[in-house]
Amino acid sequence: MFDMKFAVSAFPQILTALKVTVYLSVIAVLIGTILAVLIVIIREKKIIVLNQIAAFLVSFIRGTPVIVQMYVVYYGLPQLLLILKSNGFDVNPNGLSALAIAITAYALNAMANLSESIKSAYHSVDYRQYEAAVSVGMTPFRAMIRIVIPQLIANLIPNYANFFIDLTKDTSLVYNIGIIEIMAKANIISSIGFKYLETYLDALIIYVVICWVFARIFRFSEVIVRKKVFQN
Amino acid sequence: MILQIKDLKKSFNGNEVLKGINFKIDKGEVVVIIGPSGSGKTTLLRNINFLESADSGIMKFQDEEINLVNPTKKEKLLVRRQTAMVFQNYNLFKNKTALENITEGLIFGQGIKKEQAVNLAEMALDKVGLLDKKDFYPSQLSGGQQQRIGIARATVLNPALVLFDEPTSALDPELVGTVLQDMKRLADEGQTMIVVTHQMSFAKNVATRVIFFDKGEIIEEGKPSEIFEHPQNIRTKEFLSVIAEDY
Ligand SMILES: Nc1ncnc2c1ncn2[C@@H]1O[C@H](COP(=O)(O)OP(=O)(O)OP(=O)(O)O)[C@@H](O)[C@H]1O
Ligand SMILES: [Mg+2]
Repeated sequence: MFDMKFAVSAFPQILTALKVTVYLSVIAVLIGTILAVLIVIIREKKIIVLNQIAAFLVSFIRGTPVIVQMYVVYYGLPQLLLILKSNGFDVNPNGLSALAIAITAYALNAMANLSESIKSAYHSVDYRQYEAAVSVGMTPFRAMIRIVIPQLIANLIPNYANFFIDLTKDTSLVYNIGIIEIMAKANIISSIGFKYLETYLDALIIYVVICWVFARIFRFSEVIVRKKVFQN
Repeated sequence: MILQIKDLKKSFNGNEVLKGINFKIDKGEVVVIIGPSGSGKTTLLRNINFLESADSGIMKFQDEEINLVNPTKKEKLLVRRQTAMVFQNYNLFKNKTALENITEGLIFGQGIKKEQAVNLAEMALDKVGLLDKKDFYPSQLSGGQQQRIGIARATVLNPALVLFDEPTSALDPELVGTVLQDMKRLADEGQTMIVVTHQMSFAKNVATRVIFFDKGEIIEEGKPSEIFEHPQNIRTKEFLSVIAEDY
């Protein structure tokens, strides 16, 4: 029978892991966004060699499951550091926390996916807006900052929000490498009392609420930005 | 002399769109370029503003001699800051109000202080009768209003040269008149300009010189009366007879 009392008492315990989920999502997406911008610049400027590497990396990451990527980073990153160390770099291959590994894996995933979103948001800005800006005497850099990028951001928010929420849900996989986030906490508590449905329903509720909150935040900022940028 | 172009050539994928243009414009001239669709009129204007790079050609602008194939950043800025362009699709900055559409270029292109830029922009909007729309965004304005703001943006500093690329061809017929009036006013004020248009009445009444352009070449040029009443070239005659049926 469904044990309501157990479900209720487990809820606050599982909730304590929320901060790990949020922390992981936010940091990974922030780092991923910066990397994605670099990727887009490399690809739009068609910088030789780097462009090909970036295109390959992006399609590779987008074509594979995040859990596999996480394992590859989990086992691969320490070895990479080992090689660096043996070549005289001052790194500690054993000092990597599971969280650092998860952040690396999810940031790379965010980089690949967000670079595509940013690229398409950039292409959806009419290039003639840029031409008008340089023709009134702005430098190309100014034209980007003043005219193109604000419009790009307004175009980007919906996709960005979707990706952020997807990634937040996908962080439920990191319990596999021993990080105690919502899913791991639910696992632990359920195995103590052998009550699974109760704790997973708790986890479900927490995910629904947190994703809803994130969606509202993005929706709100989209309205503000569109109002500010396009007045509509 | 304001601007001279020598031997401007431009191809797109092996298709030669400009076949060695030689062209000169003096202060106060209103040069109207007419010619069939696809003849390279837009490409010519875009090359003058460096929105397109040429395959060969030299530009003399004031005292500078500029290679059109690989102009430096400095040369591009010099020309762009002293000329202006009015686009067929208006091309107002979508993320800026009518007033900001004018002040952006003044502040971030010309380095004018904000307060002075706002004053200049308000005067320019007043001239085209749209000062009351200064806080409107492009999406809130009609095509005709947008284009008049485009003209205000282009002419706020009385640039050495203004390039118009079919400024009325995207407009509903009833809105064309007001835009042409603004252009005529500029011409009367002595503004030097090059106008690509299909508005033959404008060419006849306002131009100081008309150029007939076809297949990437200047076929014939002269006073409006010469071109419209006594065209010398057979292609000019053909074009004008077709135009007469259409307009
Ligand atoms: N970016 C481009 N890439 C390839 N071809 C181009 C490009 N821009 C223009 N062309 C070609 O160059 C030719 C001239 O085009 P252009 O726009 O200058 O003509 P136009 O005289 O302005 O015509 P219209 O009266 O229709 O505006 C056309 O055949 C066009 O297809
Ligand atoms: Mg054209």
